Amino acid sequence: MTATRQTAATSADLAAGRATPPSRPRRTAAGWLWLFNTRLVLGLVILAIFVVGSFVLPFFCRVDPALQASYMKNLHASPAHWLGTTGLGQDTLWFLIFAVRNSLTLGIFVGIGISAISTAIGLSAGYIGGLYERLVMLIVDSFITIPLLPILIILGAAIRGNNNFLTIGVIIVVFGWAWNARTIRSMVLSLREREFINMARFSGAGTLDILIREIFPYVSAYLVVGFINTVLFAINTEATLAVIGLSKVEVPTLGSIIFWALNYNALFTGNFVWLLAPIVATVLLFLGLFLVSTGFNAAFASKRGVA
Amino acid sequence: MIRLDNVVASYRTGRGSINAVDGVSLEIPDGCILGVAGESGCGKSTLMKLIYGDVQSPMALAAGSIEYGFADGRGQPITSQTIRQHWFSRISYIPQSSMNSLNPVVRVGSQFVDFPGADPDKKRVLEQVRAYIGKLGLPVETLDAYPHQLSGGMRQRVMIAMATFFQPDLILADEPTTALDVVVQKDILMLLMELQEQMGNTILLVSHDMGVHYQVTTRMLIMYAAKAVEYGESESVFRAPLHPYTRMLIDSLPTIGDDRARDGIPGRPPSLWQELRGCRFADRCPLATARCRSEEPALVEHRPNHFAACHHAGELLAPSGGPAWQ
Repeated sequence: MTATRQTAATSADLAAGRATPPSRPRRTAAGWLWLFNTRLVLGLVILAIFVVGSFVLPFFCRVDPALQASYMKNLHASPAHWLGTTGLGQDTLWFLIFAVRNSLTLGIFVGIGISAISTAIGLSAGYIGGLYERLVMLIVDSFITIPLLPILIILGAAIRGNNNFLTIGVIIVVFGWAWNARTIRSMVLSLREREFINMARFSGAGTLDILIREIFPYVSAYLVVGFINTVLFAINTEATLAVIGLSKVEVPTLGSIIFWALNYNALFTGNFVWLLAPIVATVLLFLGLFLVSTGFNAAFASKRGVA
Repeated sequence: MIRLDNVVASYRTGRGSINAVDGVSLEIPDGCILGVAGESGCGKSTLMKLIYGDVQSPMALAAGSIEYGFADGRGQPITSQTIRQHWFSRISYIPQSSMNSLNPVVRVGSQFVDFPGADPDKKRVLEQVRAYIGKLGLPVETLDAYPHQLSGGMRQRVMIAMATFFQPDLILADEPTTALDVVVQKDILMLLMELQEQMGNTILLVSHDMGVHYQVTTRMLIMYAAKAVEYGESESVFRAPLHPYTRMLIDSLPTIGDDRARDGIPGRPPSLWQELRGCRFADRCPLATARCRSEEPALVEHRPNHFAACHHAGELLAPSGGPAWQ
């Protein structure tokens, strides 16, 4: 009886009820178009150039860009070296390409790590509440109050000699997840008291159902933006560490180019390109990520018809 | 038949526990529309929660039992412990504020299909839903809309569609029309009555509005200070109420051609914190005697199918001169 009653309302109605158009092509055509606005497209184009360029070009590189004294020092731009060479005898453009790739990899790695941890913890703490929430929030608040940069400087100095490049990423994840977790938890806290969550519970949904079907769609737009901001944060933090020489500076990153350029007095030797190239690349990369982040925000808003 | 047997619901608070529903016994026959009326804080909503099986701390079912009179797939009778598993399939709930009862960032159609109890074949469910909401007077495009793009009446229709889609045996409607204007209110009530007639299920309708009750219900339950004070067929209750409180509620309704001023009932309901002795309405009752203040009246059948808890049941207040309710 129970199995049939679920469809009982309907098979008869289908025959007798009002005819409904079987297909709606409008919906499928507009299914993904809502995503695109000027900002988002511009941001995606910039990002695409960076991503494709930095992940594909290294396959065509014949000389290890980090290898010193491969060429003459401080050469000016020429057809052989588009951005000249560094004070250490490396090709500036190739070094930059590898730097962007490494920084992006780190950023995405940290972004995924932080998003996953903070989403899981924020959602569960906010919705489940009680003792679990208090314990989790104690840990979260402790991590928030730890000042990140001094800790990174100490850790960077301590493990500098034998750290892997990804160790830096892990450290940033460990000290960076708490803010996002707190933000997501605060969103869930207010959602938990809304009537539609109660209604979902009244229709028989379990905790996991409610988290995934009711709360996650609400938070998902923020997650995309939060992910992009985390990528920015990670690249930024690593660059800061590298500039003061506490990351693994032998590995090309956006920060380590600046470190070497400053240490080898690029400004005084007149090799401005060496210093300017990573700065311009960083600014462009940030611009791209920023445009994508705000573009997504606008797109989600227009999808719901509120912007 | 739903049978409540001496049901007591208590809330645990810092000051001790308090009984928001205190010893209610009822038999609700199948296929009726039961109206529940009473002022704020009289225990209507708590009674609804109890019947729905949403018993959560700090509320508890302190005594008594609820029998629903229908069995699950294996022939076991459903009790207040197992009713949760049948939410929205056998028993469903229409909330007060349809405005906030739909997820604002999910399209109406997906909210429909996401029912935990629904068929896993979403396409087929969506076909059925589309046919069903058409029957309820909603355009098909509703399913593609976000809740904020619909009017209040449409949203309430969507909620009713969700609550009735599986043809539950029992529907609890907690003031389903409070937030709507009278025209939409009428449409919604007509829709509910129509659906009830087709499906033959039982509806429990909570409302402050005695006019709504008069139009819609077949049975009435009047609650006062956590007690059921009058219960009977609506016709009989509205035509000749037995309890003075009911009488006063009904007298507060305006009627055409009657332009007397409407008086409120003086005083306020007793605090449930105090020790309550005798009839809880005694302090506000014009008929109260010494007996009323010391001895608590039981809910007794004074006429066939018409119960009242009053020592002076039937000693009606002087007819107020307005047209009788018939």
